[in-house]
Amino acid sequence: MKNLPNLIGLIVLAFVTNLALADETDVEQIVSQANHVAFYQGKDGRAESRMLITDGGGNKQVRQFTILRKDRLTKDNSTQNDADQDFLVLFSRPADVRNTLFRVVKHTDTDDDRWLYLPGLGLVKRISSGDKRTSFVGSHFFYEDISGRSLTADKHEIIETTDQHYVVKNIPLNPNSVEFASYTVWIDKHNWMPVKTEYTDSAGKVYRRIEALKIEDIDGFATATRMQASDLRSGGSTLTEMRYIQYDLGLPDDIFSERSLRNPPQQWFKRK
Amino acid sequence: MLITRQLALIALLLLCPALASALESSENLTQTDSWSESEGNEWDNEDWGSDEESEHIIHGFVEAAYGTRLHSNQWLDRHDTLNEARLRLDYSHYFGAVYGSYKGDFLVDDLAWNGPFIETQTREALLRFSFSQNSDIQLGRQILTWGTGDLVFLNDLFPKNWVAFFSGREMEYLKAPSDAIKFSYFNKLANIDLVWSPEFDPDTYMRGERFSYFSPLADSIVAAPPRLSVDEPDTGLDDGELALRLYKTIKGYEWAVYGYHGYFKSPVGFDPRSGLNYFPKLSSVGASVRGTVGRGIGNMEIAWYQSEQDRDGTDPFIPNSQLRFLSGYEQELITRLTLGLQYYLEWTQDYDQLKDNSLLPDKEPEEYRHVLTTRINYRSPQEKLTLSLFVFYSPTDDDFFALPKLIYRLSDSWSSEVGINIMGGKEDFTFFGQFEENSSVFTRIRYSF
Repeated sequence: MKNLPNLIGLIVLAFVTNLALADETDVEQIVSQANHVAFYQGKDGRAESRMLITDGGGNKQVRQFTILRKDRLTKDNSTQNDADQDFLVLFSRPADVRNTLFRVVKHTDTDDDRWLYLPGLGLVKRISSGDKRTSFVGSHFFYEDISGRSLTADKHEIIETTDQHYVVKNIPLNPNSVEFASYTVWIDKHNWMPVKTEYTDSAGKVYRRIEALKIEDIDGFATATRMQASDLRSGGSTLTEMRYIQYDLGLPDDIFSERSLRNPPQQWFKRK
Repeated sequence: MLITRQLALIALLLLCPALASALESSENLTQTDSWSESEGNEWDNEDWGSDEESEHIIHGFVEAAYGTRLHSNQWLDRHDTLNEARLRLDYSHYFGAVYGSYKGDFLVDDLAWNGPFIETQTREALLRFSFSQNSDIQLGRQILTWGTGDLVFLNDLFPKNWVAFFSGREMEYLKAPSDAIKFSYFNKLANIDLVWSPEFDPDTYMRGERFSYFSPLADSIVAAPPRLSVDEPDTGLDDGELALRLYKTIKGYEWAVYGYHGYFKSPVGFDPRSGLNYFPKLSSVGASVRGTVGRGIGNMEIAWYQSEQDRDGTDPFIPNSQLRFLSGYEQELITRLTLGLQYYLEWTQDYDQLKDNSLLPDKEPEEYRHVLTTRINYRSPQEKLTLSLFVFYSPTDDDFFALPKLIYRLSDSWSSEVGINIMGGKEDFTFFGQFEENSSVFTRIRYSF
């Protein structure tokens, strides 16, 4: 028992060494930590999100929706492994898509499963998952910006370490599957949040930027509550704000189902 | 007269986007204000809308729609096929654990048979609640849909409005409401939906008012007047419809089995004594599966239609039993361009008896009626513009139905649509061929709130 402080000391030392290692060398650990912070905070979550979409001509559109998310556990139900996730998205604005529901099962090793419930037709439509690098609900955010990009899809390289950031350059392993030649992410050293991402085309020109404009601590989790995606070619951009965020609500597995598409689980969707 | 109407259509087509963009810019001004770069770039809390729990907001839309024939129809005087203005009011609220929803249309339809007048159409008036953790009840007027087909329905025997579909109303109107009780039970073995419609809800079928059709009794294309005279089923408690679905998702594949007991949804029976058409009794059983196949979504569905009043297929005035089969596949070919293909079969049973007893044996569909469908869908990068083309083609009937459509969202409030329904075929008695003279172009403008 008297060795306990020593043991703790040893663990702390090991931890610190680990961090130090991460600091300098282990790019995989850095991108994986950033991926966790951006997409896997808590076991589940709820958020209301609003997007202001401005096109190159200055025309504005609004999207508003509530998201429920739950991470799937590993096969033996033991731990989270930052892999598959369930999503339910309930739209409230604009008026013509009000009450439309979108259900996604995100798979990291295969295509996502997607369903759309169209209330006017009472129809549950299954959608082929298709290109993930295309607009999410007409905004300048892509599906991949919302749900994450597979860590194994790119080669990662630290190109700079500043006081504030790890700057990681990512080169796609399959360049034909994406519209960029590479992208660079600025990851905050203190909270692991990817605060800025710039996409570069084959001519070496930055044409697209995603920024976390505001980061808040919510229930102990660093959360980007204000983000912007900019299309530097057209001049259009989308501003997203998240509100009424909660983590670890204890969402049951069975709400991620066809039942919820036809009968949204009000208990979890309503603002607390 | 004809020229005036066409001019009116062109004017509407030109005016709508102009009007909409004018209103859109005024809207933008107000939106910009509420999103102004005020302190800390915060939006007003009010901009988020309060939880619908505490708010009583009426939503809906206002819409004007016009459609006109591509060529004149010798059986019908009117050249227009769609000429209406519509107000939709939509209200829903949770009363404690009970969800209530109302959707009603207030419509001025210049083509209404006795019209025009202001017509009220309740599209939805329902209550929904869970009476245990595993079961839901939905009660009242509701839109019901299941099955896997794209504009092809096998096990979905809930009412459709084919007149709305062919005249170019918004796709939502293809599904007509049912007055029903839907009971759902959810469990690990398989989920159950049981729907009871105490009173039979027929399709809104072609009855010659807006569109001409082929009548086997007249052996010719006909139109109203006179309207098709139909004997409706009785309204006793045992004269309704019962529909059942059991379903379960296994590893991303959605499996379902179905049952139905009721009537053919259009009056395909004829009683020579009364001289009236009627809805013969129909029972069906079926199954379907849907899931990821390759890079897309595949589906397969089968249904057995048992013609209860003509089980041996000898009555020429009642359709024979049929086996129906559908197989489909949809995939995003290139970014935002989706291709869907379907193969559909109607296999008429006791075909020899049908031919032997038919009044028009040469005009009966073939024993195996094959239909192919194609859907091509394109969305622009910001999803403001949607172009779609849906084509039915039957090699056995040698007829087709093509529906090219353009939908443009001018803003969050304004949307517009232009489409063409082109029907044609070698013969005038086949499923799509009979509607050749009804080909039309339609347009709509809608303001949603």
